[in-house]
Amino acid sequence: MASLTLKGLTKRFGRTTALSCVNLHVKDGEFCVLLGPSGCGKSTLLNIVAGLLPQDEGTVLLDSQPVDSLSPRDRDVAMVFQSYALYPHMTVAENLSFGLRMRGVPKATIRERVLETARLLGIEDLLEQKPSRLSGGEQQRVAMGRALVRRPRLFLLDEPLSNLDARLRDSVRLELKRLHRQIQGTIVYVTHDQVEAMTLGDKVVVMCDGKVHQVGSPETIYSQPVDTFVASFIGSPEMNLYKGRLIRKDGCPHFVGSGFSLKIEGVQLDLDGCEVEVGIRPEDIRIGQGVSVALQVKVEMTSYVGSEKYMHGRLGQESVTVRVPREADFRAGDIAPLSINPDRVHIFHEGRRI
Amino acid sequence: MKRIANGYKGERVSRERFELAIIYVLRFAGILFFVAIVVFPFYWMIVSSLKSLDELLMRPANLALDIRKINFRAYYEVLFEHGFQRYIFNSVYVSVATLVLSVVLATLGGYAVTRIYFRGQSFMSYSILIIYMFPAIVLVIPLYVAFSRLGLRDSIHVLIVVYLAQTIPVALYMLRSYFKTIPPEMEYAGLVDGCSRLGVIWRIVIPISAPALASVAVYTFMIAWNEFLFAFMFLDTPEKFTLSRGVVQIAESVHLSKQLVMAASVVATLPIMILFLFFERYLVKGLTAGAMKG
Repeated sequence: MASLTLKGLTKRFGRTTALSCVNLHVKDGEFCVLLGPSGCGKSTLLNIVAGLLPQDEGTVLLDSQPVDSLSPRDRDVAMVFQSYALYPHMTVAENLSFGLRMRGVPKATIRERVLETARLLGIEDLLEQKPSRLSGGEQQRVAMGRALVRRPRLFLLDEPLSNLDARLRDSVRLELKRLHRQIQGTIVYVTHDQVEAMTLGDKVVVMCDGKVHQVGSPETIYSQPVDTFVASFIGSPEMNLYKGRLIRKDGCPHFVGSGFSLKIEGVQLDLDGCEVEVGIRPEDIRIGQGVSVALQVKVEMTSYVGSEKYMHGRLGQESVTVRVPREADFRAGDIAPLSINPDRVHIFHEGRRI
Repeated sequence: MKRIANGYKGERVSRERFELAIIYVLRFAGILFFVAIVVFPFYWMIVSSLKSLDELLMRPANLALDIRKINFRAYYEVLFEHGFQRYIFNSVYVSVATLVLSVVLATLGGYAVTRIYFRGQSFMSYSILIIYMFPAIVLVIPLYVAFSRLGLRDSIHVLIVVYLAQTIPVALYMLRSYFKTIPPEMEYAGLVDGCSRLGVIWRIVIPISAPALASVAVYTFMIAWNEFLFAFMFLDTPEKFTLSRGVVQIAESVHLSKQLVMAASVVATLPIMILFLFFERYLVKGLTAGAMKG
C-alpha cells in the first residue's frame, strides 16, 4: 500500500477548468472520500491519478515518487468503475484473473488469489458465470474483486454503489467499511452521496467546480464547515443560512437579519457593520424558551422521516427548518417559541468561516 | 348507450381484420415477387449448366430439368479445360487478402477515430464515406491510365489495393459505429489492469466486437469476390484472371456454349452463397448493432 500526494493538479477541457490547483495528501491505509456535486471534477481527478488522463499542471506522487510519466499499467493502481465495466466476454474467474495474467503472475498463484478473493467477497459460486448473468449486487462484487485480487498500491473507486438499489447500497457500504479494515488498503473513493462520504471516510474532501473546499474528518466537515458551500452541501436537511449584518449593541456584536437578530459571542470586532451570513443546523435550534436567544416561528408544515421529525416555518421573512421531538404536534399557522444555542452558530464573512 | 358501444366495437374489429387481410396479401405478393426475380435466374443458371449443348440448342425455352439426362460435362470443361482452377485460386487469394487487410486496417482506423483524439479526428470520422460519392466508373479510367503508366496494371496485387480502397470505408464506418457502443470504462479497466493500448484492442475491443468483425469480413470478402469492373479493366494475362473475369472470358469466346457460361457462373456464385448463408446471422447482427446508438 502507498500514500498518495497531489500537488497543484490542474486540468482544463478547452475553456472549462475541470480541476484547479488541487493539493491533497492521503496517508497509507487511509480511506479518503472525494465528495461533491456531479460535474465537480472528482472523477477527472480519479482518472488523472490512475493515469488515464494527463493533467495540464501539477504532480501525482505515490509514496513520494512522481508517477506522472508512468502508464496506468506501471502505476499499479486498481480502479472500480461506476458501471463496473466488467469484461462481458470473460467469465467471473477470467475477469478477476485478467490483471494478474497481464502482469505475468504464475498460474498457481493466480488460481490461489482468485479463490481467496472470491471467498472474501462470497462469490465462489459465480466464478464460471458470465457477467451478464449476474445481478447488480453480484456484478458490483466482481468489480471489487477485480481490484482486490491484484493487491495494488492504491484503490480508486468511482461511485461504486450508485447503481445499486437503496437497501443493497446500505449493506454493501457497511461491507466495504469492514473490508477496508481487513485489507488496510489506501482508498480514494468518489461519491456525490454525503451519507456514503460520512460513514466511509477517514478523511472527506469536499469539492466543487474543480476546487477543493475542505479536507477533514467527517466530524470536522460537519461541525466546522469552512465556507457556505460546504455548510449547505453537507447535512440533510440543509443548514439554515441567513444573510444579514453584524452590528454592535451594548458592547456585544449582534447579527441582524431580516426579521430576527441574534447576540453572538467570540467574533472579531473589526467586522462591525459587515455583511455576513449565519448558519444554524436544524438540530441546533430548540423549540421552547431556552437559555439565550428567544425567537418566534410561524409553523408551515412538518415532515416526518421515521427516526426524526422536522418542522418547516417562517422566521420573519426567512424560512427555517427545525428538528423537533418526534411527539411534537404542530399545525400550520401555529406560533412556536424557538431558542438558538449561540455556541453552535456558524458565521461566514464573504462566504468564508470566521 | 350499450348498443352504440357494441356497434363501435364490432366496426373496429372488422376493420382490423380487413387491414390484417390486406397486409397478409401484400406481404405474400411481395415475397412471391422477390423470390421470382431472385430465385428464377439462379434456377435457370443451375438447370442450364446441367444440360448438354445439344439439348439447349434443341429446346432453348425448356425450363424443366430431366433428372436422367443430368450432365456434369460443362463443369469438367470449365474446371479442367478453361483454367477455372487457376481463377478460383486467384479469386480466393484476392478476396482473402482483401478481407484480412481490410479488417486489420479498418479495426485500427475505426478505433483511432472513435477513441484517440488528434487534430482533424472528427473530420476524419465523418468524411470516411466521401469516397462513395465517386462511382467506380469515374475512378476506373484515371486509375487505369495511372497504373498503366507505372507499369503496375496487370497485377492481382494492384487489384487488392483497389479493393481495399473500396471496402475499407464501409468496413471502417461499420466498426466505428460498433466501437462507439463499447463503454470507454471497459477500456480504462483494461489499461489499469495492465494492458497497453494495442493490448486493450486485442483482448477487449476485438472479442467484444466479434459480430461486427464477422459481418465486416463477410462484406469485404463478397465485394472482392464479386468485383468485375476493375478486374476486367486491369487484368490482361489469363493466368491472373479472377472468377468474374473468367466467366466473361468464356462468355466472349468464339464458339459460345451456354452451358459452359452457366457452369462457370455457378462455380463463381456458389462459394459466396454458402458463405453468406453460413454467416447471415452475424451479418445482420453486425450491421444493425452499431446503428442503434451510432
